Parts: sequence; structure tokens; C-alpha cells
Amino acid sequence: MNRGLYLSNLVVTGPTGLIVTRMDLRLEPGQTVALVGESGSGKSMTAKAMTGLLPRGVTATGTLQLDDIEVDLALGPQVLTDLRGKHISLLLQNPFTSLSPVHRCGEQITAALAPDLRRSKDEIRRRLDEVDLPERVARQYPFELSGGMRQRVALAASLASNPQILIGDEPTTALDVTTQREMLDLLERIQGERDMALLLITHDLGIARERADRILVMYAGRLVELGEGADVFAHAQHPYTAGLRDSDPPLKHRLVELPAIAGSVPRPSEVAVGCVFAPRCDRADHRCRTDTPELIGTTSQVACWKPITKADTPHLIQIATDVQAQNTGTDLVVVKAVSKRFSPSAPLALDNVDISIRLGEAVGIVGESGSGKTTLARCLIGLESFESGDISWMINAPMAQRAQIVFQDPTSALNPAMTIGASLAEALGVGQRDKSEVPALLQLVGLPAEYARRRPHGLSGGEQQRVAIARAIAPKPKLLICDEPVSSLDVSVQAQILNLMNSIIKELGIALLFITHDLAVVRQVVSRVYVMNNGRVVESGTMENVLLSPQHEYTRQLFSSVAGK
Amino acid sequence: MSRRALIPIVTGIPLAMIAIFVVASRWIVPNATRQDIMTGVTSPGTAGHLFGTDQLGRDITQLAIAGAGSAVVGPIVIALGSMMIGIMLGTFAGYMGGWLDLLLSKYADLLLALPTTLVALVVTGLIDGGYWVTVLVLIMLFSPTDIRMVRGSVIAQSGRPYIESAKVLGLGRLRIMFRHILPNVLPVAFSTMLLNVAFALVSMSALSFLGLGVGPGVPDWGRQLSDSRDLLDRNWGSLVLPATLIIITAAAINLLGDWLQERFEERSVQR
Repeated sequence: MNRGLYLSNLVVTGPTGLIVTRMDLRLEPGQTVALVGESGSGKSMTAKAMTGLLPRGVTATGTLQLDDIEVDLALGPQVLTDLRGKHISLLLQNPFTSLSPVHRCGEQITAALAPDLRRSKDEIRRRLDEVDLPERVARQYPFELSGGMRQRVALAASLASNPQILIGDEPTTALDVTTQREMLDLLERIQGERDMALLLITHDLGIARERADRILVMYAGRLVELGEGADVFAHAQHPYTAGLRDSDPPLKHRLVELPAIAGSVPRPSEVAVGCVFAPRCDRADHRCRTDTPELIGTTSQVACWKPITKADTPHLIQIATDVQAQNTGTDLVVVKAVSKRFSPSAPLALDNVDISIRLGEAVGIVGESGSGKTTLARCLIGLESFESGDISWMINAPMAQRAQIVFQDPTSALNPAMTIGASLAEALGVGQRDKSEVPALLQLVGLPAEYARRRPHGLSGGEQQRVAIARAIAPKPKLLICDEPVSSLDVSVQAQILNLMNSIIKELGIALLFITHDLAVVRQVVSRVYVMNNGRVVESGTMENVLLSPQHEYTRQLFSSVAGK
Repeated sequence: MSRRALIPIVTGIPLAMIAIFVVASRWIVPNATRQDIMTGVTSPGTAGHLFGTDQLGRDITQLAIAGAGSAVVGPIVIALGSMMIGIMLGTFAGYMGGWLDLLLSKYADLLLALPTTLVALVVTGLIDGGYWVTVLVLIMLFSPTDIRMVRGSVIAQSGRPYIESAKVLGLGRLRIMFRHILPNVLPVAFSTMLLNVAFALVSMSALSFLGLGVGPGVPDWGRQLSDSRDLLDRNWGSLVLPATLIIITAAAINLLGDWLQERFEERSVQR
């Protein structure tokens, strides 16, 4: 009976134009299909269209076929009400918001069960057992559980109706790397046991490569390439797929420069004619800009006029060998035995932390959420106070010229009411520099001088982060602190920003403190690294040494959880 | 066109008309207050008097046009004044926190606990005040909600990375408060102010209905309402016209304020 799902000719239209353009999708029982794309690619909207959960003002057309049922999506979301839940289920990204805070987990899991099963203790136990949760969780509220456990509860809830199709929309993105792996293993096991089809929507190429039987690559609302498993990336035919693969930083080695795709992802409605990728493609010719390519091929398909073939010389990747951690040098700042607690009853956020940063050195702090890495940065910069210990700066300069910081979320890092020029001029003023240097500053971060007149909200995330970096270096600080500066950016943009940071610290000769949960990212930037866990520094050393022979159990665990690298 | 897109037009037309009355009533209806005892009260539809006349023979329509000024100017001054207090005190309370915040918040709570109309009645009655004393009293009574509103918005902005960046740059407190935070609070403050104008209009009308506010003989909607009580049986127009004007003006300003607020919220979400 279970023959899977076939979605054909899906078109999703929003208030500003097309969101998804003519796409087909087949899900077979027991198979995992990964839908890969950056923000704005339309991957989440595809999932929402399949479950009838499109936001107001967004409509879909196309046909969805599940066993003998055929549904015309143009008839509106109500036609999917029967399928959703019963046959198709959705697991969302954020377990913090997808569960109701006022209901016990047991109730939320059993809400979709038949009434006679709803009160059965055995049934709840069985359901919790399936997702490796103890029985007590049924009586607990979501806020009493960790992120990983919450996502398991959400999974149990979405499995309650025994669906044939499970759609996971970035189901592990909100989780820490170590928890991520457990969750993916669990999904894989349950999928096998239930012979369920899994549509895994993700921006993480590693996860797709490692877990999917088939991979579909979306770009600006279109399927640009699809094929069997990791092959899609290994033998990428579409320049975008290849670019995405190359700009994803490797963990194994450090590159001289990450191959980045220029520009940023356009809105599907912005591309009227031609190939959606043509504006950013270095292979594009006249035809790419005038005619839209269709998907062609059998097992692997590509929508490109000039696909990459074996005859093409592969992109040369240069491995950096000259990056040596400096063993000597003058200390810039020394943190000694710093401890901090947010409230008397809370555990230590920082527990006897010792770190030091030398002049002109790039240092990383790696850790998961709750490790204390951000708190340490905030103490360094003076945004947070600490109870005991000592932070001593070895240079004589006002605070603003010792260190500056770049935050994770570029959209809220800039004052929405001020022009970019005004923001930068103000920061230049702090360093006794004149506002006439604004154009040069913009140029340094790779932005045109006209941007000085614009306001932040018209800029893409990558551009906003460039401005934030420009503002941070304007007062000529000796240390640039970056707190997860690329985690909210798309992979192709992430590579641009990492390259920019590398070139800026080299050019200005300033020290960098790079804080992240992403090992592959920090690998590309720093020469020395500290690993933090539960407020303590558990390991430190040169990037090479820590990577090759991790000493601490936690570091090893962290490395082994990185997917597909 | 969606229904929401119609709001600025639907509210704009009556508001534009009222604005014209406020600015130009002395030329539109120069003789609004001229009494004509011989005519006395007439009912709506009497030749030359669309809504009839009152017991002094004054034309209700002309009187209402002339009364737009005192009906609208006071409320605008009240909303502006109380928002200025709100911005000054609210910004300090929200950004500085600590004892200053506690003190200002308690002050706002105290004022908020007072019944607005009653206090206005007592105060204006005690010091025998006129129109502007009423305005002043209402500014004081309106300010606590504005202080709270601004304080809340300032606190919401203060935790955002761009403010933290400003702190890391070592900028002064006043500069952060008034150059960085305030411009991002102003849109909400503006729409709140509009809603306050509507509320103040009703309050002012109520007070002048009760005999406080404008002096005798000065055209005013609230006063017209009050006067109409004695001639309801002879001229219903004397009640209907000023009452309708109050309702339309207040409702239009309210709708426009809501609409603006939604727009600002959408914009901040898009950011």
C-alpha cells in the first residue's frame, strides 16, 4: 500500500512574486531525500506547501499524489488537512517554539492518537521508548528538558499518527553538534524500523552528504541539480552545487583562501529570464542570461546550459602550509582565573578561566551553547562583569581601542535608524579618525563607497556583517572579537566573510579572537585554539595539534560529531 | 485594494476637513458667534440653518466649524506635551535602570492610579482654570502611560547588539540614549501620540461638557453638547452635529494611529 509520495509541478507564489518555480519531488518508503539550499531557496516553503501550512498570502499549485489519493494543491490548504498528520508529518527546526509550554510532554505526544489510546500508559511508554526517552518525560513540561530531549518529544509527537512521510525542516539546526549526531542517528533508526520516507530539509551539506539517499539542490526557488547521495557533490555538474561544495570549509586542512561564490542569493522573483544562477556564475554566457535551462538527465539531473564535465579542470584548492602558531610574542591580554556566576544559585558560567592572546595572533574559542565562550568574550570587552580573577591588558589604550566586537546576528548589529556612513563615521571618531575615511573603510571590507548613504535594512546579511566588521575595525583596536560571526549566514556568503576576516587581520596586523561552535570554520581562521565546556577551558593548543591529537574526552567527542567532513 | 490600504484615505478625508476648519474657521465662518435673539431656537432644516440654531440664535453648523479649533488644538498640545515628558523620563528610566528607574516608575504608577477625569475636575475647579489649565492638567495625567511606553521600548532596544556595539565603542550615555535608541523609539511614540490625541479629544469634550475648559461664549464641541441638553426637544441638531464630529474625529485619529503602528511593526519585523 505504501508507495510513497509524488509531488509534481509545484509552484508557490507569494505577495512579491514566485517563491518556488515548477518543481517535482518523489519520496519513496524507507528513503531519505535531502533538500539542500540556502536561505530564500524555497526549501521550507516546499515543505509548507506539502503540508498545507503556507502562510497567509502565499498560494500553491501543483499535484500531490500519495498512494491512491491525488490532491490538487490549487484547491487550497484545506484539501491537505486529512493527509497532514495522518500520512504526512512535519518536524520543525526549533523545539523551543514548536512545543506548547503549558502542556505536559505526554499530552503533546498523544494528542494525535486515537482517543482509546490517548490514556493508555503503555502506549505513551512505547512512544517515548521509541525516541529513547524515559517514561518520566510524559509528566514533564518542555522547559524542564534539554534542547535535544525537547526535539525528541517533538519527534515522538510528529510520529504519533504513524505517518508514511516525515518532513524534517532543519530538524537538528538548533541543536549542538554532539546532540545533532544523536538526533540524526535516531531519525535514521526510526525511519528504517517504520519504513518511512524522510524528506530532510537542510542547509548543512555535511548532513545531506552523510544521511541522504538522494540529494536535491535548490537555488532561488528552483531545483538546479539532483542525484544519488554524496555523488551530487562529488561530481557536481551545476556550477552552484560545485560552488556550494567548495565554499563549505573543510575540517581536514586549512585553505589559503576559501573558494567563495560572489554576491548573495537573489529572491526568485528578482530573476525574470535566464538561469537563476547566471548573475553569480563565472561560466555564464549569453544564453544563460536569456533562456531558462530545464532539468535534464536520468538518475542525476542538472538544469544548466554549461554543466561541469570531467573534461573541466577541477578548481584548484590551495592548502595553507605556512600557518604556524607563534610560540613567542608579546602578550596583548592575559585572562587569569576568571570566574563568573549569573546568579547565586546558578552554576558557574566561567570557572577559573585562563587564556592569553598575543599581539597580532588569531585565537579561537570552540564550544557548544552554555560552554561560557560568549560570556568570556563579553567579560573581555567589558559588557559583563566577573566575580573573581583578573583580565590584564598589556597595552596602554582606552577600552575602545583595545578591543572591538562583531556579533552573530548582522541584522540587529547596526542601528536601523542610521545610515551606514553615519555609523562608520561615529566609530571612526572614537579612534580620532576623520569621517572622510569612510569610503576607504567600506572598500577595505569589499563594499562600494555608495553604501555610506544607505540604511542597513536594504542590505543582505553578508553585506551587513561586512559593515559590522568595518565599524569594529574603525577605531583601530588591537583585538577584534568575533562571536559566531558567520553562523547566521549562508554557506556561500560565509566563505566570503571568512576570507575577508583573514585578509583584514593580516593587513591591519591586529589580533583576532574567534568564537564559534563550528570546528571547520575556526580551522580556516585561527592558529591557536581553546576548547571550552561547562565554563571551563578543557583543552588548548595549536589548531593542528588539537585537531590531530585531541587530549580531552570532550574535544574528541566534538570532533567525531562533525557530520560529513 | 485591501481594506487596510483604504484606511489612510477613509481617515484622511475627515481629518483634512477638520484641519481646514481649525486653520481657517475665522474666514469660513466669521460670524459664527453672532447672536440673534430674534431667531431663537430653530430646528434642523430651517432656511439657512442646516442643523438649526441654539437659544441665542447662533447657527449650530457655523458654531461647530468654529469650535473645531478648541476641540483639536488642546488635545494635540496634550499629546505632544505628555509624549515629551514620556520621552525624557521614559528614556532615562529605561536606559539607566536602577533607583532612577524605580523612582520614575513608581511616580508613573502613582499618576496612573488616579482617575483622570475626576482629578482634572477637582484641579481645574479648585484653581478656577480655563482651557489651558485643563490642558496642563491633562498633560500631567496623560504622561504616565507615555513614560511606561517609552521605557518599555527603550529597554527592548537596549539589549540589541547595535546598542552593545555603541557601548563597546565607548560612546557616552546621552549619545547612546538620544542618538541611537530614541530614533528607533520615535515611530512607536508617534503612533501612540496619535491615539492620545483621540483620547484627549474625548476627555477635553467631556470636561467642557461639565463646564470646565473654554469660557462661556467660546465655540467648542463639548460646550455645544452641554448647551444642547436644554433644547433637545426643539433642536436635536444641536446634539447630533457636535457629537458626530467628536466621534468621527476621535475614530479617524484612532484608526490612523493603529494603521501607522501596524506599519511600523511590519517594518521592524522586516529588519
